[in-house]
Amino acid sequence: MFSYLVRRLFFVIFVAWGVTFATFFIANVVPIDPAIAALGDNAREEQIQEFRERYGLDKPIWQQYLIYMGRLLAGDLGQSLRTGRAVVEDLKEFFPATLELSVAAFLVTLVLGVPAGILAALRQNQAADVTVRILALIGGATPVFFLAVLLQYVLARELDLLPVQGRLDGFTFPPPRVTGLVGIDALLARDVAAFLDSLRHMVLPAFVLGLFSAAILARMTRATMLEVLSQDYIRTARAKGVPGRAVVFRHALKNASLPILTLLGGLLGGLLSGAVLTETIFSWPGIGRYVTQSATSLDFPAVMGVTLLVGLVYALINLGVDLLYAFLDPRIRYA
Amino acid sequence: MRLIKAVGLIAALSLGVALAQDRTQTLIYGGDWSDLITLDPQVSYEFSGGLITDNLYETLVKYEGADLSTLKPGLAESWKVDRGRDTWDITFRLRRGSKFSSGNEVTAKDVVYTFERALALKGPGSFLFTDIAKLKPGAARAVDNYTVVVSIPKTASPGSFLSILTFNIGGIVDSETVQKNARGNDFGKEWLTNNSAGSGPFRLVRWDRGSQVLLEANPNARLKPKLQRVILREIKEPAVLRTALESGEIDIAEGLTPEALRALANNPRFKTLKADSLRLNYLAMNVKEGSPFANLLVREAVRYSINQDELVSGLVQGNGTKTQTLIPKGLLGYDPRTPYTFDPARARRLLAQAGYPNGLEFELLVSTGICGGGIPCADIAAKIQADLAKSGLKANVKAIANAEVLRTYRAQNHQMVLVGWSPDFPDPDGNATPWADFNARSLAWRNVWNDPTASRMANQAALETEPAKRVALYRLLTDYVLKNGPYAVLYQPAVPIGLSAKVEGYVRNAQGQVRFENISKQP
Repeated sequence: MFSYLVRRLFFVIFVAWGVTFATFFIANVVPIDPAIAALGDNAREEQIQEFRERYGLDKPIWQQYLIYMGRLLAGDLGQSLRTGRAVVEDLKEFFPATLELSVAAFLVTLVLGVPAGILAALRQNQAADVTVRILALIGGATPVFFLAVLLQYVLARELDLLPVQGRLDGFTFPPPRVTGLVGIDALLARDVAAFLDSLRHMVLPAFVLGLFSAAILARMTRATMLEVLSQDYIRTARAKGVPGRAVVFRHALKNASLPILTLLGGLLGGLLSGAVLTETIFSWPGIGRYVTQSATSLDFPAVMGVTLLVGLVYALINLGVDLLYAFLDPRIRYA
Repeated sequence: MRLIKAVGLIAALSLGVALAQDRTQTLIYGGDWSDLITLDPQVSYEFSGGLITDNLYETLVKYEGADLSTLKPGLAESWKVDRGRDTWDITFRLRRGSKFSSGNEVTAKDVVYTFERALALKGPGSFLFTDIAKLKPGAARAVDNYTVVVSIPKTASPGSFLSILTFNIGGIVDSETVQKNARGNDFGKEWLTNNSAGSGPFRLVRWDRGSQVLLEANPNARLKPKLQRVILREIKEPAVLRTALESGEIDIAEGLTPEALRALANNPRFKTLKADSLRLNYLAMNVKEGSPFANLLVREAVRYSINQDELVSGLVQGNGTKTQTLIPKGLLGYDPRTPYTFDPARARRLLAQAGYPNGLEFELLVSTGICGGGIPCADIAAKIQADLAKSGLKANVKAIANAEVLRTYRAQNHQMVLVGWSPDFPDPDGNATPWADFNARSLAWRNVWNDPTASRMANQAALETEPAKRVALYRLLTDYVLKNGPYAVLYQPAVPIGLSAKVEGYVRNAQGQVRFENISKQP
């Protein structure tokens, strides 16, 4: 088990290197000059030259790569061309918002997706199944942008039930920043009003972001459950007189959980990589919005930093999923 | 039990009253502030950085309201320009009793420190000091506690220098507080990114990047604000900006779409405003040898081929002003005349005279982004293309990333581009030199338009200190460039802004400055 873990962690490092290598060279194939993108139209020639020298953009590409890798090994992701700050600082600033939103959206996914899938499988071809399938189709097919703006308009503007945007109301004084997760920071500051306000602000974006994954998850759960429910051992269990609830949850769901888990790993990874549209529409200061802005201003160090972070998150989630396999299925052993 | 209820009710009511009071004391200003990277007045050169630091720091001289042609006293109660032997010597007399948020008094040493700081930090806006005003370290000297003399070379324009001082780069910092927080020889740059040390009506409480900037009234300020708190909320999406305004989450929405502005104008709960900008959206023609635009007749044909009225009232939906000369409305020397009318027949005759009886084909470069007034640049290019076609001018529109348009333009590799320009400082010279003087290596250079007459006129007007004479010189220059230059100005875009009807005293000048201390909110 331990040697397996070591091998996998080594593999994670290899993935991370591959990610930086690919991004670095793709980024440098783009024919646009990052100095002009950063400094704008009115910049003087000398300013542009000075900028290129400061960030080493005047050196040949392989040298730039070696410098970048050398710094990276020392844990330095370099400086953002746009903000002039250390990329690590920017990531620390923006990742917590994405983490907060992803976890909330992941809860929405689980709470909506799994029960809906089980229900549909148990009532195959009945009204409940058809409803779930139609909803899943709509949920999976509605563009995030449309859904978000619609919900903002109806629930926030017309009915005034929920806030339109942001992580806190403008009139709520933000709690001191400790973790960067506003809800947690509010609790640490014993500010119940701010905590509740942050929950209210999370509802719409988490729902919009989670709905798509919930739709996929519901369909997957349904299909897997149907397959398991038609197996012989389920029939045997029923014949033995095991109560229906126990058959579904202990026998069927446990066996259906491996493919569901695999999908969940992918979905969580997707959520954590920053939801560009959701973050933009709800003015949520996460890494999705940060990376789009960095990409449009050709801020390569920032884009590379985010890519590396997301690559690591994916690799670690996969590792976690694999370890959970062994826990759920005693036949799986790692050595 | 009854007592508890009564106490609870009173408590709830007073809390409600307190909250309501708090609401009239807090202004929430929504907009796309995503360009914000620092709140250091000597480093910031972004639009939103300027908007905020202008309220944290005071400058020696300033503009008031929407007027950008008359300088008013700021920290300096008076100033005068003297003609020295090789220099212009500008003497500023400071007011007594102005205080920074720390409680320290603003004195001449703070002014000198601020000037040295701007020169040492070499921020993106420092060329205003070094290239335009030609300031050198040591140029500012404290004569006594309340008198500062700044000397600039005779070749620099005192008018430009004074107008540069209204910018945030001239925002005077509290030298004691900044030096206390300096690291090594960074002049406190890292600290001032997130903190403020000014004498402006507000002080910075916190900046949550990508989310909001929170300002609070500066208790020691000379200019007392009407509001206790101003929050700048970052909202990038125009549709969300509108919904947030309509649901009362924000009080001001800057950068709405023309459609949203029209909808809000019909709702009594809101006010709308088309704020001026100093931006000019224009076509530029490369006149290098071998280019068809090298022939003045062809450039004239282009200028007679644009239906500007239709462009401004149709596509731009009134979010802009029709203008043709190189100084924008709002600055000294603006010339409102628009002699070029849409006349395809005349344009065809000019083309025939120039030797192109069958018309002419060329490439028109345009950004894939949004142009002033909230309109996609490609839409404007399509309209121009249709207009030009009526005269036999066939423009092949090529839409590419903005940075790529600029790279091509800066390398003189374009034929025709559709771009925008905003002056670096609110003085006619901010446009005149780049547009007219080839040697400035700016717009005239990019279009290979080397016209010694235009260069000489621009230099002469820049150095003139008598306002009336300056206006006359700019009148001559703008007319000359209009008729001979490589440009066709399209329009001066406006910024569409929506406000809650409760907000009063909001004025945004064309430079994008808003004095928060004058704004109040009705309950």
